[in-house]
Amino acid sequence: MRAPALAAVIATGVLAVFGGGAFAQVGPAGTGTGDAGVAAFGEVDESLIPMACNVTAEDLPDDGGGAIQVTWGPLEARGTDVGILAYEILRYAPGEEPASIGEVAPTDLAYTDTEAEDGVTYQYVIRTKTPFGHTDSEPSMPAVASAQWFATGRLSILIVAVLFCGSVLYYIRRAKLGDELFVRKIPGLEAVDDAVGRATEMGRPVLFVPGIETVSEVGTLAALTILGHVAKRVARHGTPLDVPCADPIVMATAQEIVKQAYTEVGRPDDYDPARVAYLTYDQFGYTAGVDGMMLRDRPEAVFLLGTFYAESLILAETGHSIGAIQIAGTKETSQLPFFVAACDYTLIGEELFAASSYLSREPVMLGSLKGQDLAKLGIIFVILFAFVVGTAGLLIRSDGSSVLTRIFDFVHSWFG
Amino acid sequence: MGSLGMIIGTWLAGFLTLAILSFLYKDNPFYKLAEHLYVGVSAGYWLIYVAFFDVEPMLVTPFMEETGVEKWILIVPAALGIIMLSRWFPKTAWLSRWPIAFTVGVGAGLGITANLQGYVVPQVQATLLPMTGFNLVSLNNLILVVGVVTTILYFYFSKAHKGVLGVTAKIGIVFIMVSFGASFGYTLMARISLLIGRLYFILTDLLRVID
Amino acid sequence: MKRTVPLIITFLTGTFLVMSFFVPHAPFGELEQRLLVWYAIVAGFTMLLGVDSLIRAHARKVARVREGWGFSLALLAGLVATVIVGVIGRVQFGSPFHIQSPFMFIYTYTIVPLQATMFALLAFFIASASYRAFRARNWVATLLLVSAVIVMLGRIPIGAAISQFFPVAQEWIMDVPQLAAKRGIQIGAALGAVSMSLRIILGIERSYLS
Repeated sequence: MRAPALAAVIATGVLAVFGGGAFAQVGPAGTGTGDAGVAAFGEVDESLIPMACNVTAEDLPDDGGGAIQVTWGPLEARGTDVGILAYEILRYAPGEEPASIGEVAPTDLAYTDTEAEDGVTYQYVIRTKTPFGHTDSEPSMPAVASAQWFATGRLSILIVAVLFCGSVLYYIRRAKLGDELFVRKIPGLEAVDDAVGRATEMGRPVLFVPGIETVSEVGTLAALTILGHVAKRVARHGTPLDVPCADPIVMATAQEIVKQAYTEVGRPDDYDPARVAYLTYDQFGYTAGVDGMMLRDRPEAVFLLGTFYAESLILAETGHSIGAIQIAGTKETSQLPFFVAACDYTLIGEELFAASSYLSREPVMLGSLKGQDLAKLGIIFVILFAFVVGTAGLLIRSDGSSVLTRIFDFVHSWFG
Repeated sequence: MGSLGMIIGTWLAGFLTLAILSFLYKDNPFYKLAEHLYVGVSAGYWLIYVAFFDVEPMLVTPFMEETGVEKWILIVPAALGIIMLSRWFPKTAWLSRWPIAFTVGVGAGLGITANLQGYVVPQVQATLLPMTGFNLVSLNNLILVVGVVTTILYFYFSKAHKGVLGVTAKIGIVFIMVSFGASFGYTLMARISLLIGRLYFILTDLLRVID
Repeated sequence: MKRTVPLIITFLTGTFLVMSFFVPHAPFGELEQRLLVWYAIVAGFTMLLGVDSLIRAHARKVARVREGWGFSLALLAGLVATVIVGVIGRVQFGSPFHIQSPFMFIYTYTIVPLQATMFALLAFFIASASYRAFRARNWVATLLLVSAVIVMLGRIPIGAAISQFFPVAQEWIMDVPQLAAKRGIQIGAALGAVSMSLRIILGIERSYLS
């Protein structure tokens, strides 16, 4: 035993001096122990090179098939502490020879085989590659890739979705059946009509900035629903409306909305598509352009609704500097403080999404707000329930072994 | 680019930097020029970007290289894209509502899953906190729970904010305002360091006042 | 045709996306990725509409020699030059984004400094916004002011020099009340967003088509 172990000690020392990379170049890994660099210091007994063990292979859960997850445990120390270069993953189906399908760094102990064919039984062997040769693990148990019809890891999201959508649809139904629904005043939305009115009186334009995101972002969709309302008001009064867009799809959608609004109030000829225009997709290029419009066209009312990032402050401050009445709204919590500081009214988060319901005053739309409220009560109940149960559980037994603590843990992990 | 190009480039960059900064004084022809150049150049940039990173690798190349269903199914998005261009002709402009409806559908679909997965479920989970005894962590947990609950109640729409709801909503406003103030202060500090970076560019690269 | 077809398209697209989230099995599992690619393709075509609208607006100004027509001309020149240079880069170097492509020269010496400068402007704007925000006129604004000042002082050495209270308080405000309100707002906004998305998919919310 002593002689090979000594060789290993020497080899480890050399590795420490030159680093693993130097040896990797000496001879192709996996060719056994004939490397020139090693020969100079003596042979390493291959049977003493560490070997990967506990190799498992399982179908990757919650996927569309074609993937098997392979893991292996820490190395089995076999007397030699040489640096590992990599793990090579070998795979074989019945009647096949093991073939390499990939390699991972020595720090990784898992590999996802995404090239597996559904329904075929595979076994995996992990080859531990060292500067002195390699060892092969025992093969894993057979595994078969398959596709799942439901992503079980998303069950809690599905349940929340069903409960929430159910509550919204329930109240929409109630509203359809004629239930009276009360909605409290939202000052920022009450001010929408006033702002348009003021611009009309002053004979100055209204500027509607629908944020810098595309329509695949819900904040933009919320802004566009409000644009419909503003456009109708504007069309009725004959006030000019400018809608500069940072995204061409938003422009196309906004043009449809504004055109429709003019048609609905019976003034289709007043609609000028050039006023609902694209500027540039560049965040600050757009900001510079909108700033320019504010300074030169001097709008009386400015709407900053949708998704905004750092440009929120530049736009809101410029709008403020020209003395326009400003109504802003976004769900970006990091930008809300600037809107609050620089604008007359700010729609905070959910208020932005409630706007179209609120402004339309249609019972069906208001019903959905009621549904959202029920969901909020549900969430508050869960939070308070967990708080009380969790606290009581720890009061009874501080080591966390009480039933109440277990209930708390269950609720907590259910959401994860 | 040779060194002459770099010199010209640096001066161009310097001119544009100063022209934009001049906006702080007031709107002026230099700012107007920089602004218009910015809009024009960046609009051109994004057109090329989208052609090169979206349309070419996602439509043109796969259409040339793929076979069977993977090839022919690309006709759907291509058709939607072309139909979008029907807006150029007033007679057929209404057709563009189809691709618009498609993009809105994508937004709405993502809106449901992304918000539930990204916000509702994880944020509620993170707020499931107990008091662990008489210590500071417990107090903070209590404040967190009260803060989240009252903030949510501030957004309660179907009842007037009077009575108990009035009190809780008011506490919610306290949290919201403290939060806004904190964000404001935090960002203020970060922005000032950015400005210092820009001034540093003017003084070093451009004017070489500082080496 | 004008209203029903779009509503059906929106319904199907939205529903498929939601299904794709929960059903990994083919053909649903990969639908999300596919629809996003389609979205990008549609967006690519639409970019032509956008650029066309920009060109028209400014070409009109130049043609009619309206006030500021010279600036519009600069805009058009910048746009056309960038696009031409981009095409040249594609042909000559295989990619407009090749390091030697003149397209990258334009990017490096115009867009990058312009972006950086606009970003730097934020420091001035935040100063003027602070001035207004900090004239605490009511108790709500006072709260905002106090918390902002504590956080600011807590994040700079001077604050710690005055008192150790500032860094500690700064951290506490950020970690407890700030986080609490942020979470509350995000939960509410997310509910609102989901509800609006649901209304759109089901065709209840159609103000975008109305």
